[in-house]
Amino acid sequence: MVFENPLLLGALGAGLAVGIAGLGSGIGAGIAGASGAGVIAEDPSKFGTAIVFQALPQTQGLYGFLVAILILFVFKSAPEWAMLGAGVATGLAGLSAIGQGIASSAGLGAVAEDDGIFGKAMVFSVLPETQAIYGLLVAILLLVGVFSGEGVATIAALGAGLAVGFAGLSGIGQGITAAGAIGATARDPDAMGKGLVLAVMPETFAIFGLLIAILIMLGIMF
Amino acid sequence: MKKLRAVILDEKMDSVIRELHEKGMVELYDLTPKLEDPEWGALISHSTPARYGRDVSALLIKTNRFLDLFDNVKLEDNKGGLKDLLNPTLPEKKKVSFQSAEEVISHGKSILEKVEDEAMEYSHRLNELEGKKNNLQQLKKYVEYLLDFDIDLKYIRDGPYTYIVVGLIPEDKISNLKKEISNITEDYFEIIEGKPLTTEDGERKIPVIVVTLKEYMDQVGAELRKWGFEKFDLSNLEGTPKENLDKINREISNCESEINNILNKLNDISKKWYSELLALHELLEIEKERAESYLYFGRTERTYLLEAWVPAKYANKVKEDIERASDGYSVVEIDNPDEPEEKIPVMLDNPKPVKPFEMLTEMFAPPKYNEVDPTLLIVPGFLMFYGIMLTDAIYGLLLTLAGLLLWKRLGKVSEGAYNLGYILTLAGIITVIAGILTGGYLGDFLKQFLGFDIYNTYYALVNPLGDSLFIGESNPLFNFGSISVNNGPIAILLFSIVVGIIHLFIGLSLGFKESLEKKGFKEAFLNQGIWLFLILAIVIGLAIGMPSIIGVAVGIVILLCMIKGYMSGGILDAGLGAMDITGFLGNVLSYARLLALCLATSGLAMAVNIMAKLLGDSVPVIGIVLAIIMLLLGHIFNFVMNGLGSFIHSLRLHYVEFFGQFYEGGGKKFDPFKAKREYTDVTN
Repeated sequence: MVFENPLLLGALGAGLAVGIAGLGSGIGAGIAGASGAGVIAEDPSKFGTAIVFQALPQTQGLYGFLVAILILFVFKSAPEWAMLGAGVATGLAGLSAIGQGIASSAGLGAVAEDDGIFGKAMVFSVLPETQAIYGLLVAILLLVGVFSGEGVATIAALGAGLAVGFAGLSGIGQGITAAGAIGATARDPDAMGKGLVLAVMPETFAIFGLLIAILIMLGIMF
Repeated sequence: MKKLRAVILDEKMDSVIRELHEKGMVELYDLTPKLEDPEWGALISHSTPARYGRDVSALLIKTNRFLDLFDNVKLEDNKGGLKDLLNPTLPEKKKVSFQSAEEVISHGKSILEKVEDEAMEYSHRLNELEGKKNNLQQLKKYVEYLLDFDIDLKYIRDGPYTYIVVGLIPEDKISNLKKEISNITEDYFEIIEGKPLTTEDGERKIPVIVVTLKEYMDQVGAELRKWGFEKFDLSNLEGTPKENLDKINREISNCESEINNILNKLNDISKKWYSELLALHELLEIEKERAESYLYFGRTERTYLLEAWVPAKYANKVKEDIERASDGYSVVEIDNPDEPEEKIPVMLDNPKPVKPFEMLTEMFAPPKYNEVDPTLLIVPGFLMFYGIMLTDAIYGLLLTLAGLLLWKRLGKVSEGAYNLGYILTLAGIITVIAGILTGGYLGDFLKQFLGFDIYNTYYALVNPLGDSLFIGESNPLFNFGSISVNNGPIAILLFSIVVGIIHLFIGLSLGFKESLEKKGFKEAFLNQGIWLFLILAIVIGLAIGMPSIIGVAVGIVILLCMIKGYMSGGILDAGLGAMDITGFLGNVLSYARLLALCLATSGLAMAVNIMAKLLGDSVPVIGIVLAIIMLLLGHIFNFVMNGLGSFIHSLRLHYVEFFGQFYEGGGKKFDPFKAKREYTDVTN
């Protein structure tokens, strides 16, 4: 045990979860909001649409908040390193919100021109959320004690969090691709299928991260 | 889809078009490009819009003008409020039975004449009065600026030898102006200044009266313009500014009351005619579309050639319709499509309970010609995923209500709302079921506030955040090696992955079948077959407890992927091919979002409950109020965020993971030649 009270590392984890994820969501929502303000200036009736698109990159902040609450109030008896790892996973993966903000901003721009593209823009804008969901997933797996070996109970848990967390930054790249794909789809609706294939490519690295995180939690190297 | 070709005698053409337009079962095919071909061009010439089109357009412009007028005079009280927005009343459909465009035109003319008789005079008078009111208001502004000058305004105009103007000059320019004018006029001038004031645009200005000799008029005038002088035109006024202000105010209010009178009268006229005009507008639009449809056809001396796409199941019916409408003076042929596949329109044809889901298919892309329509396959997956991701009985109930509102109320006037409402209603019901299974009633509201822990009873199957009586530490579902499925999250994760593999298996099987039919066995096997093989190997390996089978299968699959890559692009692609396995793994793991979103809903709901409880317990007196506000806002927020998230993530799983296995899309949607009737109804 590093500290006398395991919740000390837990608190650190909770802080990182809500702090870093909040940073990501803040930047992402800011990017989407700037685009929203421009759209509303052109057409005030698009206020609702702008709010919806701006809401997308805010979910990462919510996940961070959720994990912080879970660490502090619900899974208090989880191993201390698992708590820290969970916080790091959710927090860093929450930076994918920056990419989601970029995609949402492009989506909003496209919808301002043509209402009919709302659904498609939405689907593209939601892609970079996958990374945050992987982060949340690893955090939950760490906290609920699915795996109970050294992979979760030792500092190895932090490694799992870092793996899925940093790999989650691929969400920024994905957001940029998604933004481009929204533009392409707005011009040619048939581009949607192929655009999706390109836009999910950066997810490969998030999957690598998730995979390694799961292997660490399984304690496969011990 | 079939191609219909018909040659029709010219005098019967119009009744054929009317018949096709009312039935709306064909999509007209534009012959114009074909007629560019010299061989066709020698036989058939371009057709021009029907002659009645011009009359129809003229009437349409008139109708629009009256509709605009009536829209502008509508008094506040008959504009629709929120209630009307949530429950729009359907316009009453007017029964019409016109047999030809001429009848519609003469009907339109007679209506417009009557409306013109009643409304035109008032409309002219209204314009006049509004012009007058604007002038008066302008004048009022001028006079108000001059209130400081106690002078009869009739003197402020040119005399035999003097040049007098009045107006506003920017405050900071006045000294320059004086200097310049004094230079020009050798001091034969006078500038009387009023009190500086701030105009509506926020600029500081001074009202001034400038007096000089007439001989300097042009030079001084130019100087004034240079310094931004705004001249007032007061040529008809007499008496002091104060007296004039009262008079102008009186005139404005007279004007306004007369305008109100006219508005009331116009409003009465509008009530009488508005719905009639809307119906006429619709009739005219329909006639216009008919007149313009002639552009699609080719013609000979006495006949028209018509080509159209017609869905196979309507083909014979349409043929009969044309023959009947033309009294037999026609030749109709129905052929298989003679165009490349991407040009053939596609009509989605699903039974009524599934039809609204076509919206989701079309949002991705309508299927290509001869491609499978995935709509029916979306339905169970979409609803189930939605339910799992939202998982809260109360949220589900809310969603059902919101869906019903959209479906049954707004859906009356909007097809989009109807479809979305229908989908949300079903999704809401599934969410209620999922919520009951996972014991989510506003998260853990029951436990936090009523002390009732549903997971200690047999009313909830699984707890997304921990143990339940069915699946828990003391009662694991089963053990697999060192992993024990002994709590809620891991059980739901397992379920998500299994559902995902089944979902992918269905998609892959369809893709395999499609590839087999179109590209042959090799393509089908390399693109879909190997993954089907891998899934089967995993299932068999787990079933008989021999994980080594899975390892071998993975090895074979990687090898096959490398061979596939090598065949398409050499050594480099072979290396990339080996990575295909991570793509497949990604597809499977992507279904883990079912767990993540399920957990996010119940976790956030719990966070709201915890915070509300803290507020209620720690803040004295008003704590209970704060707690209730926190609960209301928090749960509404959580419901909206996760409701939206569940919808899009459910859609994503279908578009990316599911469609990726078998569906390409990109067809052209069947766009029927059909009269749009909202305000009218045909009776014969």
